[in-house]
Amino acid sequence: MGYAIRFENVTKRYPRGGPRYASLRHDFSEGVRRAGRRLAGQRNEGRGPIALEDLSFEIEEGESYAIVGPNGAGKTTALKLISRISYPTSGRVKVRGRVGALIEVGSGVHPELNARENIWLYGQIMGMSKADVRRRFDEIVEFAELGHALDRPVKMYSSGMQLRLGFAVASHLDPDIFVVDEALAVGDAGFQAKCVERMMKLVAEGRTLLFVSHNLSAVEAVCERGVFLLEGRVQSVEEISPLLRSYLQWTDDHQLKRLEGGVTPVGSAYLELDKATCHDSRGVERYAFSTGDDVEIRLHLRALQPLSYPHVSIGISDGRPGNLALCSMLVDGGAPEVLEGRTVVSCKLRSIPLLPRVYYLCASVRSEHAYGDVFDWQSVGSFRVADAPGLVGPAAQAHASTDGAIYIQHDWEVK
Amino acid sequence: MQSLRELWGFRATILAFAERDVRVKYKQAVLGIGWAVIQPLAFMTIFTFTIGRLAPVSGEGAPYAAFALAALVPWTFLQTGVSFGSNALLTDGALVRKVYFPREIPVLGALLGAGVDFAIGFVLFICLGPLLGAHFSATWLLVPFLALALGVLGAGVALALAALNVYYRDFRYALPFALQLWLFASPVAYPLSVVPEQWRVLYVVVNPAAGLLDAFRRVLALGQLPQTGPLAASLAGTAIIVYFGYRIFKSLEPNFADVI
Repeated sequence: MGYAIRFENVTKRYPRGGPRYASLRHDFSEGVRRAGRRLAGQRNEGRGPIALEDLSFEIEEGESYAIVGPNGAGKTTALKLISRISYPTSGRVKVRGRVGALIEVGSGVHPELNARENIWLYGQIMGMSKADVRRRFDEIVEFAELGHALDRPVKMYSSGMQLRLGFAVASHLDPDIFVVDEALAVGDAGFQAKCVERMMKLVAEGRTLLFVSHNLSAVEAVCERGVFLLEGRVQSVEEISPLLRSYLQWTDDHQLKRLEGGVTPVGSAYLELDKATCHDSRGVERYAFSTGDDVEIRLHLRALQPLSYPHVSIGISDGRPGNLALCSMLVDGGAPEVLEGRTVVSCKLRSIPLLPRVYYLCASVRSEHAYGDVFDWQSVGSFRVADAPGLVGPAAQAHASTDGAIYIQHDWEVK
Repeated sequence: MQSLRELWGFRATILAFAERDVRVKYKQAVLGIGWAVIQPLAFMTIFTFTIGRLAPVSGEGAPYAAFALAALVPWTFLQTGVSFGSNALLTDGALVRKVYFPREIPVLGALLGAGVDFAIGFVLFICLGPLLGAHFSATWLLVPFLALALGVLGAGVALALAALNVYYRDFRYALPFALQLWLFASPVAYPLSVVPEQWRVLYVVVNPAAGLLDAFRRVLALGQLPQTGPLAASLAGTAIIVYFGYRIFKSLEPNFADVI
């Protein structure tokens, strides 16, 4: 067995000045300016932003491979090179076998046509013959769960339905190499699970799979190995678990750095917040935790004038409206008689029942000094629950990002 | 050569694109098929009452209305093909950015779609021509071959324009104007014989549409065989345009997805 895809020192630059809105007038004036600069003896700057720089890696035949990295790392660019949509500026991309690419949602689905016509059209655009489409038509319809809406124009579909249509056609193409980019982001939890199943089936049949997704649980469930890209360069190539670990490690460090330099909550004439930090049970500052950990939240406050009875409240949310939990001195008591100068207010949360995802911290301080709050209710920081040891298997994690955030211990019984 | 072989492998996809274009066109437009008929008829009427009344313009033996319609039907094909074809990469920009297929396909699909309009126009001529004074003739059987040549010419022009359109939207805005000029620079409202004999071959090489339109006219309105001279010159001109059009397309192709 040899390679299915091989990157040899691939560099990709995008055309300068960004895509779109090129015009003869612009290029003409640009040309004159460059010529003028050359005459003046100055050097012209290089062309365009680099998307990939000197990239080399190899994906073996029959392997399920992941590309992970933050936004702008070059993941989609790499996929575009593989599927021959775009070409490298230098270096070579070698591909063995037919590529079936699913890059971005519903690409190629025409809004005016109905599902039946779209399956025909899309199948043929992707290179299926009419006989192929006819043979697999029912299977595709069934997979997409669109039997009831076959004759409705696709523009009347929801984006989720369009995605289902696109994924269904693409995944029935019988490609040798199947490329999936962020396709799962739109489907509901049930369809996501189905897509993961379908991809696993293709892998079991010996196809090569290349998967890019920010849904790391799905990546972990499907892929064996992968590459971690950062700013267009290879950061590491590893087995999937260590790869995801190093990627998450990077995200956490990065996030921590951002928090240190970043978020400046709005203070008032009475009180300012320097920062909000999260610590583990040993007092070490951290960003990532596991389900069931103890978490200590520290608010580093600076009172600009003495405040009597400042009632501090801390809320935890997962980004959706409303708090998942609220810890408040208004309820619990414990407000000091007076707050002066720099103070650290700490709130210890015991064994947090939160499932993996990012959580946001909000805080407010109310005092007898003012009507309302001396420190307005606002977002002050965040932390992430990275894993849930022993609670959630990889297959179930697809649900974690869309369903409930709180883990309650439970037992099933069927009578 | 290799890309031509690949294109052949994707011939079903070209058909699929053409089919889609036709379906979408007739789904969105109330008049549907009517549009394929209205344009040549409207031009025929205008030409008949204006240019057709000028003394020096003759139908060369056929009544002027039939004479004009015989060239307007193929001209409409060329015009529709070129204008849809050269915008095809932009209209299908989302696909070009996300799915691989040989990039010629949307352009050729659009031309083929225009071919359907031409077929309808041809049926119009079959129905209306005899009423206007043209006679049924065995030479009408040559129409498909002439249409093929015209389609190839259209493909050459559309491929070049489609590629340039991706980089410079200016072409998109200039196109309707350029097509108007092309119409009046071609023997549609007037006969080819207006061009002085000694310039005729050069004129037809530079504007290959002229020789083909003249051939259509002889075949349809006059029941004659095409004149060999202008037709050969026209085919030579077509070959030159297709060669350079395809070269331009191929040299710009690699960056389409990045620029579009």
